[in-house]
Amino acid sequence: MSNTATLSTDNKQSWGGGKSPLSISYGKLMMWIFLLSDAFTFSSLLVAYGFVRFTFTTSLPNAIVKPFSHLSHTFTEEMQKAGMFVVERWPSPELVFNHFPFLHGIHLPLMFVSLMTFILIFSSVTMVLAVEAGHRMAKKEVEKYMIWTIIGGAAFLGCQAWEWTNLITEGASLQNNPFGPTAFAALFFIVTGFHGTHVLSGVILNIIIYINVVNDTYEKRGHYEMVEKVGLYWHFVDLVWVFVFTFFYLI
Amino acid sequence: MDHIEHLEHTESPANMKKQIWNTFYVLLVLTVVDIAFYFALLSSHSIYKNILFVFLGLVKAFYIVSVFMHMKFERKFLASIIILPMLFICFLIWLALTEAGYTFDSRLF
Repeated sequence: MSNTATLSTDNKQSWGGGKSPLSISYGKLMMWIFLLSDAFTFSSLLVAYGFVRFTFTTSLPNAIVKPFSHLSHTFTEEMQKAGMFVVERWPSPELVFNHFPFLHGIHLPLMFVSLMTFILIFSSVTMVLAVEAGHRMAKKEVEKYMIWTIIGGAAFLGCQAWEWTNLITEGASLQNNPFGPTAFAALFFIVTGFHGTHVLSGVILNIIIYINVVNDTYEKRGHYEMVEKVGLYWHFVDLVWVFVFTFFYLI
Repeated sequence: MDHIEHLEHTESPANMKKQIWNTFYVLLVLTVVDIAFYFALLSSHSIYKNILFVFLGLVKAFYIVSVFMHMKFERKFLASIIILPMLFICFLIWLALTEAGYTFDSRLF
């Protein structure tokens, strides 16, 4: 008995067995390792984007369309004629991502994607508040914040579906791009699609966790660590969006 | 209460809730700053503009990982296990962007 007591107090014995040397459970450590591998996957996709983009002429500064001005139905054709949307040139994001639901025909550059970013950041906050409530074993609070996180994730997916529909209606696909180089549309759909798949699986995981919380699974287990593990994944999805937003919309 | 597990973990500080909301405000402000810079520097093609946006992204990433993902309160060794391998990404970025310059010079439309 005295032997185990010295093991847990002596720092030099961290790797001696019988306890976690990193003071973290196996499941959480594996979630971190998975996120590291996922970070490599996303960075390869984003580096591929950077590579392709640097092989094209940089976009022209837009001096034609001002924010809040009206867009005609032939906006894309006009931009093609003006030399903004040509195959040699990477398009300026503000001319591609300029639509907002219910405000059809008004030039609102980057407003919709900013809204999507805020939704995702907010759902990250409600997730970490659920984790914090889990530490205090406050079941009702965990339930409340999980619901808000699920709503945020679903709202983000809805926004993405709307944006995709818009671009596809204008003729963008993996093989075609009215805004300029084909690679622009292909990379956009692949990278935001891969990120969207992560959001979708995150929402599904959050729903499973919510059902377990309601059914007292973690109350009986004595801890809410499962909320933390899925929380790590959810924050990672938000983290990736920070860079997708930076590279696809800002730069 | 049939089975209660023993769990090893690092403790959160007492003011965790405050830290969460502060982080939220930091992320909110940085996103607004991002958009403001985008419109202020619309006609600029300077490489420094890109560096500025990447830097702001990295600051946001730092806050998400350290507070939301609890990395700040974990053992330093865990942080290095996760963060050090990412240095390879810097090499990949350098390699890809250098090669992109040569591809740009030899591109035929």
